[in-house]
Order: sequence, then C-alpha cells, then structure tokens
Amino acid sequence: MSVSEAKAGAAGTPIASAAAAWLKRLASPRLTLVMLIALGAGVLAYDPDAGARVWLLVAPLFLGALNLSAAMFVSPVFRRQTALFTFHLALLAVVLLVAMGRLTYLQGELELAEGEAFSGELTRIERGPWHRSRLERAQFVNDGFTIRYEKGVRRAETRNGVRWLDDAGREQHAVIGDNEPLVRQGYRFYTSFNKGFAPVFVWHPADGSAPRRGTIHLPSYPIHEYRQALDWTLPGTQVALWTMLQFDEVLLDPEQVSQFRLPETHTLVVRFGATRHELTPGASLTLAQGVLEYERLSTWMGYTVFYDWTLPWLFVACMLAIASLAWHFWNKFAAQPWDR
Amino acid sequence: MTSELQLLWLALMLYTLAGSTAIGSMVLAKRPEQLILALIMVGLAVHAASIGLRWERIGHGPFITMFEILSSNVWSLLVIYALAYWRVPAVRPAAVVVMPILLIMMAWLLLTSPATGHFPPTYRTVWLYVHMLFGKIFLGTVLVAVGVSGLILLRHAGLGAASLTRLPDDVRLEDLAFRFIMVGFIFESLMLVAGAIWAQDAWGRYWAWDPLETWAFATWLTLVFGIHLRVTVKLRPRQSAVLIMAMFVLAFLTFFGVPFVSTAPHKGAV
Repeated sequence: MSVSEAKAGAAGTPIASAAAAWLKRLASPRLTLVMLIALGAGVLAYDPDAGARVWLLVAPLFLGALNLSAAMFVSPVFRRQTALFTFHLALLAVVLLVAMGRLTYLQGELELAEGEAFSGELTRIERGPWHRSRLERAQFVNDGFTIRYEKGVRRAETRNGVRWLDDAGREQHAVIGDNEPLVRQGYRFYTSFNKGFAPVFVWHPADGSAPRRGTIHLPSYPIHEYRQALDWTLPGTQVALWTMLQFDEVLLDPEQVSQFRLPETHTLVVRFGATRHELTPGASLTLAQGVLEYERLSTWMGYTVFYDWTLPWLFVACMLAIASLAWHFWNKFAAQPWDR
Repeated sequence: MTSELQLLWLALMLYTLAGSTAIGSMVLAKRPEQLILALIMVGLAVHAASIGLRWERIGHGPFITMFEILSSNVWSLLVIYALAYWRVPAVRPAAVVVMPILLIMMAWLLLTSPATGHFPPTYRTVWLYVHMLFGKIFLGTVLVAVGVSGLILLRHAGLGAASLTRLPDDVRLEDLAFRFIMVGFIFESLMLVAGAIWAQDAWGRYWAWDPLETWAFATWLTLVFGIHLRVTVKLRPRQSAVLIMAMFVLAFLTFFGVPFVSTAPHKGAV
C-alpha cells in the first residue's frame, strides 16, 4: 500500500485515519533518537553474565525495528533515495538475523582425551530455545595436539589433529587450532587454552563383567601446575578415589622456548580411604570391587563449540548495509564539491 | 633498537615543528601550507622507517603494547590528515587543532616503555590487519572532522580571526566536518564487521560484549545518533562542532583507554 492509498484510506474511515496517524508517529525521526539513546544506555548497562537484563537491549531494538519499519513505509525520503532505503532495510535484516540467531544458537564446551571420539556430550551448554541439536552427527576424534610456548611460558601456536568420517564414509583429517576451527554439521569446534594430562585406566570389575577403559582429566596445565589432582568415582561403584600426578621435571621452562609434552617419568598417587598407593604405567591396584589398572599417561584437549546458522547471512546483510550507505554518501558528496 | 628510537625521535621533532609552524602561522596570519605538509611528509617517511625497523626486529607489527599502538596511530592519523590536507584546502588551517592533539599523543608515547609484548597466536590472521586498517581510517577521518570543527569553535571564540576569515562560512565548514564523520562511520562499520569475523575465528564467538566491543558499539551508536540528530534537528554549526568533539572523545577513549584498563580477552591476553 502506498502513502497516497493510505491517505485515501485514512480519509475514508476513522479507524484507518487513526492507524495512519499512529503509523506516522511511530515513524518519527525523533523516536529514532529516543531509541538510540535508550539503546546506548542499554548497551552500557547490559551485563552478559546477568542474562535477565537482556531486555535492556531487546526493548530498544524492538522499538527501533518498529520505528524503522514504519519510517520505510511512510517516509517519502526512503522512496526517493534507493541507497538509503537499502541501507535501512539491510539494517533491519541484521537486527532480525541477530534475533533469529539468539533463538537458535548453541554455545558449549567439551573435553576429549587423545584418541577419544566426540559423542555429542557437552560439559557446558547454552542454547537458544529453538535450537534443534544435531551434535550427535558432528562426530570427530581428537588425534592429539602440540602447543609451543615462548619464553615466560607464553602460549604460542596450538595445533590439534582431528579426524572424522564424511558423509560418504571416507576418513578425513585436519589440523585445527588458534584461528582455525573444525566445522561439522554447522557446528564450529575450537581448541581452547584448557588442556592437560589424562591418566588412562582399565577397570576390571570383580563381578566378572567386561573391563572398561577410560580417562580422568586432571586440572588444566600449566594454569594449575601445582594442583594436578582429582577426586573421582570408579565406574559402576561408590568407590571414591583421589588421584594426583607427580613428576619432578620442568616441562615448560620459563627461560626458554618449550613445547607441551608428557613427563618422561612420573608416578600416579592414588588414595583410597586411608591408604595411599603410587602407580607407574602398567601397575594395578586391587580393591574389593575389582582391579584398577593404570595403563599410561595421555592428554586431553578442551574445545568450545559454537553454532549459529545466521552467520553467513549476517555477513551479507552487514556488507549490503555498508555498501548501500557508502553508495548513498557517494551520491550525496558527488552532488557538491568537498571544497566549496 | 637504538636506530628505531632515534628515527622515532627525529620524526616526532619534525611533527612538532610542523605543529609549531601551524600554530605560529595562525597567530601571525601567514600561510606556510607547503612547508607544513613537507614537514609532515618527511616526518611520516622517517617514522615509517622506525616502525619498519621495529617490525623487522620483533617479527610482528605495532599491535600489542601501548608504545606500539600509540606510535602506529600517530603515524596513521597523520597519513589520513596529510591526505585530507593535500586534497581539501579548507582542511589545512585545521592543523592548528589536529597537531596539538597529536602532540599530546606523542608526549604520551614518549612516556611509555618501548619494550616488546607477547604476540598472541590468535593475532596471526589477516583479519587483524583488515580490522586495524579500517579502525585507523575511522579514527583518522574523525580527527580531520575534529580539526574542522575546532576551526568553527575557534572562530566563535575570536581566536585566529585574521587567519580564519578567508575560510568558508561555518555552515560549509560544518558540512565538511560531517562529511568526514560520514566517511568515518563507513569505516567504523567495516571495522566492527572485520573485528566480528576475527573474534568468531579467534575466540569462537563474533560478539561477547567484552568492554572493548561494548564501547566500540557505543561509539558506533553515538555516530548514528549524531548523523540522525543533524538530519532531524537543524543544529547550529557550533552545536555540530561540539557533537563531533564528543564523538572523537568517545572514540579516542575506546581506542586508547578501554583496552588498557580492561583485563578482558580483547586486550590480546589469549
């Protein structure tokens, strides 16, 4: 419906007339200014850790979207200036895409020991109410990592080998890390600063059931260099163990460039009740519930995962907005010289 | 390192000479415009050599420490200003406003340590350069707008009247200043998009409301507000000039304040 039609309709019925008046008020550029002030205040007051205050952003953005939509509908300026109209339309698309993104996004964390496959389980998850998870189809295996440290134990490059089966069942390999995520089923997996040592155990239950191999993930290294211990429970039992990794080597020398690596020699201290045991690779601990075999020391890597299907569309909408605004300014500036 | 610093000192002296000449010429109502541009250009060449030597020595660009960021920004701001100075004659008297701002940054630069910092692995991406380039163009164009706005305010304060009478009237100066703001707005928008792409790859999220992102967005909103206000309410040139100054202050604090008072990841700590 054009403005002239709206005016004709407005003249026809009192309801249409009132609606046209409201639309005009809603399209007011002064309301745009109010919305911008409210959004600016909301941006500065918003605390991402206190999710309840998200309305500080949502309310002015919603008002802004209404104001902009109404302005594009009634304002003759937009009809005269295609580039300006395109800019505001693209801006509206950005707001809508961000809103859609927040409804369907997923953000989370996971940890995988070397050789372990991702099964879709996350240690932390945050997602929009409309997110339909396909994480179980985004499988990959952590093939181990290398991390270089500069002097002063400053982390440099992280290189993490990963492999997965593609849709045709062929094995694919990649090296991810730093600025390179693994993208599977739209989910983007990133290595993180969170990584450490992972003792590998085999638990042989006394009831004769099948042995179970698994790892425990000791606290992140080197951040928790002096706290390499963990409380955990044997699978299928109530048996609580305290385990600590012990070694004397300096793995990451602050005086020189170094690399994350396993200690050449180490022992694993396992405390069960009042008893303390020291295990080396291959050693076992016999309990009433079964035998705990310490196989070897390995590593684990922490990943963050992010999903937002709107990302490419957001990029397109942003670039369209910027290009059309540049086009608008170009036309405006070309009409009169810079140095009049 | 000695030759780097010697070249830097030489460049700063040339810039100071250019700034002093600009101020002196306004007081004396002279027009040594070519001399000022020549001093700036020679200073830029010497400064570029200093930055280049340091880049070669430490293996990365001037992106980490306050010393590097101030040095590279003094250089880039002067490149943008020199371009505007060359192409738009009405901008030339603005040296009397622009150069003192840069001299303050130079004094700050001399007070910072030239020691090197840690170059995080997430900085090894082309998006760092794209993001920085757009950011520098944004701040440079806003600085030129501030210079022109300063001329409006100087004229109203009755300072340098003899030199400022030959300039276009306030309405035209205000229009010129806002043109630079509009160009700056385009580049600030590009800077935010490039930064979001980099953040997505580096930290696994394109936006997380960290302090620098928050203040960069607040600066963007301030420019949007300023541009809308100018269209909606017919501002007087003096009001526009004050508005542009406020935009620059916010942008300046975002660039040079927030990254160094916040411990959030954007500082490059990860």
